[in-house]
Amino acid sequence: MTKNNTQNTAASGAQSQVSTKPTDPKRSSAIGSGFAEQTLGHYSDRQILLRLWGFMRPYRLMFLICLLMLPLLSGFSLMQPWLLQIAIDDHLVPRNPDGIGWVAFLFGATILGRALLGFLQFYLMQLAGQRALRDLRDQLFSHVQGLSTSFFKRNPIGRLMARMTTDVESLQEALSSGIVTMVGDIITLVAIVVILLYKNWQLALVSFTVVPILLICTAIFRHLLRMAFREVRVKIARLYAHLQESVTGISVIQLFVRENVSAREYSEINDDYRHANIRSIRYDAMLYAIVETVGSVTLGCIIWYGSGQALSGVVTLGVLVAFIEYMQKFFVPIRDLAQKYNLLQSAIASSERVFQLLDTDERLPVAENPKPLPTEPFTIEFRDVWFAYTEDNWILRGVSFTIKPGEKVAVVGHTGAGKSTIIALLTRLYDVNKGQILINGTDIREFDLNLYRRSFAVVLQDVFLFQGTIQDNLALNNQNVSLDEIQSASQTVHAHDMIMRLPDGYQHQISERGSNLSAGEKQLLAFARALVCKPEVLILDEATANVDTDTEALLQEAVEILMTHQTSLVIAHRLSTIQKSDRILVLHRGEVIESGSHDQLLAKNGHYGMLYRLQYSSEHQEILPSITA
Amino acid sequence: MSSTQSNSPPPFKVDRRTRRKRLWQYFVRYKSLFFFGAITLLLTNAFSLAIPAYLGEAVQLMRDAAVESQAQAATSAEAGNILEAFAAVRSEVVTAAIFIILLSIGAGVFRVFSRTTIFNAGRHIEFDIRNELYDKLATLDPRFYSSMPTGDVTSRVTNDVTYVRLLYAITFLHVINAAIAYTIALQRMIALDLALTLWCLATYPVMLLAVRFVTQALFSQTKIVQAQMAAMSSRVQENLAGVNVVKSYSLEEHEIADFSRENQQFYKENMKLSLARGGLDALVIMMATVGTLVVLILGSQKVIDGSMPLGTFVEFNAYVVAIAFPTIGMGWVFSVWHRGLAAFERVCEILFREPEIKDSPDARTLEKPAPSQGTSDAAPLGHVRFENVQFGYSAEHPVLHDINIDIPAGSTVAFVGRTGSGKSTLAKLMARFYDPDQGRILIDGTPLTDLLLRETRSEIGFVPQDPFLFSMTLGQNVRFGLDALEYDDTIQRPAPTRALLESHHGQQLSQEQRIQQAVEVAGLNVDIDSFPEGLDTLVGERGVTLSGGQKQRLTIARALLIDPRILILDDALSSVDTQTESMILDRLEYLMRGRTSILITHRFNALARVDKIYVLDEGRIVESGTHHELIKSAGVYASMLERQKLREQLES
Repeated sequence: MTKNNTQNTAASGAQSQVSTKPTDPKRSSAIGSGFAEQTLGHYSDRQILLRLWGFMRPYRLMFLICLLMLPLLSGFSLMQPWLLQIAIDDHLVPRNPDGIGWVAFLFGATILGRALLGFLQFYLMQLAGQRALRDLRDQLFSHVQGLSTSFFKRNPIGRLMARMTTDVESLQEALSSGIVTMVGDIITLVAIVVILLYKNWQLALVSFTVVPILLICTAIFRHLLRMAFREVRVKIARLYAHLQESVTGISVIQLFVRENVSAREYSEINDDYRHANIRSIRYDAMLYAIVETVGSVTLGCIIWYGSGQALSGVVTLGVLVAFIEYMQKFFVPIRDLAQKYNLLQSAIASSERVFQLLDTDERLPVAENPKPLPTEPFTIEFRDVWFAYTEDNWILRGVSFTIKPGEKVAVVGHTGAGKSTIIALLTRLYDVNKGQILINGTDIREFDLNLYRRSFAVVLQDVFLFQGTIQDNLALNNQNVSLDEIQSASQTVHAHDMIMRLPDGYQHQISERGSNLSAGEKQLLAFARALVCKPEVLILDEATANVDTDTEALLQEAVEILMTHQTSLVIAHRLSTIQKSDRILVLHRGEVIESGSHDQLLAKNGHYGMLYRLQYSSEHQEILPSITA
Repeated sequence: MSSTQSNSPPPFKVDRRTRRKRLWQYFVRYKSLFFFGAITLLLTNAFSLAIPAYLGEAVQLMRDAAVESQAQAATSAEAGNILEAFAAVRSEVVTAAIFIILLSIGAGVFRVFSRTTIFNAGRHIEFDIRNELYDKLATLDPRFYSSMPTGDVTSRVTNDVTYVRLLYAITFLHVINAAIAYTIALQRMIALDLALTLWCLATYPVMLLAVRFVTQALFSQTKIVQAQMAAMSSRVQENLAGVNVVKSYSLEEHEIADFSRENQQFYKENMKLSLARGGLDALVIMMATVGTLVVLILGSQKVIDGSMPLGTFVEFNAYVVAIAFPTIGMGWVFSVWHRGLAAFERVCEILFREPEIKDSPDARTLEKPAPSQGTSDAAPLGHVRFENVQFGYSAEHPVLHDINIDIPAGSTVAFVGRTGSGKSTLAKLMARFYDPDQGRILIDGTPLTDLLLRETRSEIGFVPQDPFLFSMTLGQNVRFGLDALEYDDTIQRPAPTRALLESHHGQQLSQEQRIQQAVEVAGLNVDIDSFPEGLDTLVGERGVTLSGGQKQRLTIARALLIDPRILILDDALSSVDTQTESMILDRLEYLMRGRTSILITHRFNALARVDKIYVLDEGRIVESGTHHELIKSAGVYASMLERQKLREQLES
């Protein structure tokens, strides 16, 4: 910062300069400060609760039963002081043993009844709540499945995952017990007020004199607590962001020896977090203590005022004891109100994020009256196709070509030429910006999207296998495919032997994304799958992954076999594939600049010639030495 | 560090005694808070447990008065007498009531103190552990990070530390509270009626065991639910990552069905969890009231047969209620304790880990530049020497063999070779992310292992392949390396003040000016001017999204700002167009005069200007020399260059 300072330190000895560095000024933004915090507030609380109710509706009967159980539960709990009163007034004071056994029995019954009914109610409520959440997750997942590819390009996977898992989770408490407990608390509170007024309205009024004070106190503290909790949430998010980024960027921190500075930043945020927590602890403890104190003061008041009444015979001792017990039960729900309210608030915030995702409606336009897919073999035509993922950044610039039925076409070009985009457009992951893609003269946007996509078999470099058996993976959930068909397809593409080598053969369980299979094995499975689903058109993005030479030979043969079966469009990386193709499209900067057979293009000695020398000549020498001459 | 090290070392564990010792240390660190908490808990209980006695007394007084008045009414004595007696009793009862109120207020005040001090102590411990973990994480080397996934690391620092905090706060609060409550209440209860006390307590061991059983079931089922949650999440992750394939194959319905299955399983496991939770709730309710039932059955008999006064009955019942909640708390303590210990074990696996790369006891700093630092007439700096270096990430698979290189101070060299030939590994060894298995690396004549690690790194400007930026402002990202030089007392190297542009040669500049110049050298000034907030623009979600080339240039500016003795560019210009690349290299020529620059690159226009090129293949130096020498020798380099030229023609 200061010139003089650093000059001095540079000149002076190693030891003396240490303490001259200024202390770190409080930074407005440390590591992780660029993390976005979710902006909310598009929906009112009422709207959110109504939509949540929409998910509860199918289980409203269970919900209703739970609500009906609540008065019973309160009843059991409120019976207890009453029974105590009866015991004192009818049996203890007059020392009358007749029937005291019944009172004790009833008291025991209320304990058991409350526990059992409470359990039943809780379980039933969980049943309804968890089912509603399950439905919500299902709906979210299938909603997201329908969103367009460009939506996924913009939204990081982590964020979408958080919506579908953690956000829905934090709804759980509110949906499955929170609301009902709050209703139950209110019923209990009202019931206590009614009972006490009924038993002795003067004593009741005296008992309730402190309630307004209590309400004001809880209102103040609820507000303070809410602020404190909000602060805690903001701070923990910052703490997490800093940590997360520090761990991912640890090598950069170490390279620039910023460990201590970063640790100081972290410690500052950590300290803020600690203090936010300490604040909330203080308010929470004070609220707790105030409610308890007020409760005990009420006890004193009841004795004070009640003693006069008891002595003058207006109330009995039993009533007095019952009053004390009732008032103790009165304060517990009030004490927990703040926490429950906080829970509800964070649930509402989560629901808002969830509903935002549910309300995102980015889909490819759907054909109003979808045309049936042509029954005759496909002729594919790209007619002056322009496409850009982001505005004006054209990936394809006026691409036109036609693929006739049965034709085998190879697309070549260097990285970024637009090869994969052609596949993405043909399978309608995106719609073209300009121009048209036609199948037998019909724009592909006029077909039903799913039916259209099913007429292709796409084999990508990254083979997608899901958890299940090999057979499931090859049949792709199609029940009509027999094991015989699968086996013959596998034999055709040389996958059968490899499958039989696996434990359980076709019934072999594939673990997470096929992590127990090699890249080559996955490719073979993908080929077999492509053959099983008997597509109109085969689309293949040849893998460049390193496989051993035996597998390589196997794959090469398999590709050739596969291509002979139907119309195919291949992004070729192997010379043999290119040579077996009927036609080669040379793509450069989003344009088809050359087209023709391998020999024709080589003779032309243009762009393809260069590409060939760069990418295939070495392979050429190794594998097909005869052609080199 | 030795070549005999096995490929996969056994998982790092900390023995039980060391962990317990550490656990105790945190407790001792805040012993005054815990002590104060215990004292206030004692006072809280002393006050609140004194109340039942006054309550009992009040009831008994009223009862006696009532009996007396009945007796007097029976003998039809004067009404005045009764009233007088009532007034006396009344004032006694009111005194009891006032005592109750005062005791309650006292208990309330102390309760605030006890809860806040104990919970705060937990928060302080949490704060300390998090800081210590962060400090430790900052020193751990790449070998550690490759052994523990990022998500695992962050979860230990966030979730596990929370459980450790609860271990301290909850355990202490409930154990002490229960101990005090039991001592005070039991003493009074026994004094009142020993037999009844024993009967009341008889149910507690059973209940306690039941609570413990249910909480254990609760926690093991919680683990299952969390595992199922993880399975469901990875299912979603898999689906989102493969969204293109899912769409191409129209697999949506299959995916939905698959997810639905996991979801259903999650729901089922959750319902099992609800069983345990509901069971615990029911048990708690029973525990809170079962004591009163016992008092009602046995105590009422005693009141009726006259062996126990009514006041005692009420007082006794109040004690039974008062110890019910501490008992419930103890049931909870078991599980919090278990979970906390397991979490602490995971925390210790980071806390006690020692970095493999660290300073030797007699490590020294790099030789200082001459006082007239930075001027071209000073002796050149940054001599790098590799002597018989062999290295592998695992002992069985060496990545580098017999590397002998001598890079003179002040020169510019380049490393070329195919992907996986070991170029980046070479760079990582220079920054001492790893130590060689054999041989040594010397910087300005001193072996790297004899130098202070961080002091040495502060002299190296490293631009990694992957341009990692932090979510802070652009300016803060550029000055990232300066922060340590300016604010960290443990780094002796002062912040440089030398100008970065030749036009300001010999001038001492402020860091603001230097940041501007670093940005200009990296060719980023035009980009930054186009952002409305300039250098204050945030990077990341809330700010701009930079292109690959912009990120690379920013990381270059970041490395240049610290005026490094050795600059290493690990393929750091791959996303920058050749014209900008030439401009940056031109400006670097002035800046790195008298310093060493090491380039790892494919671009031949950069290669033509370096002093020496080393060609790496499968971890060995196969060729070296100047650009022209290597072309003349028509070896690996020449053919590589040929292909490179073709590629660039294709892409142009």
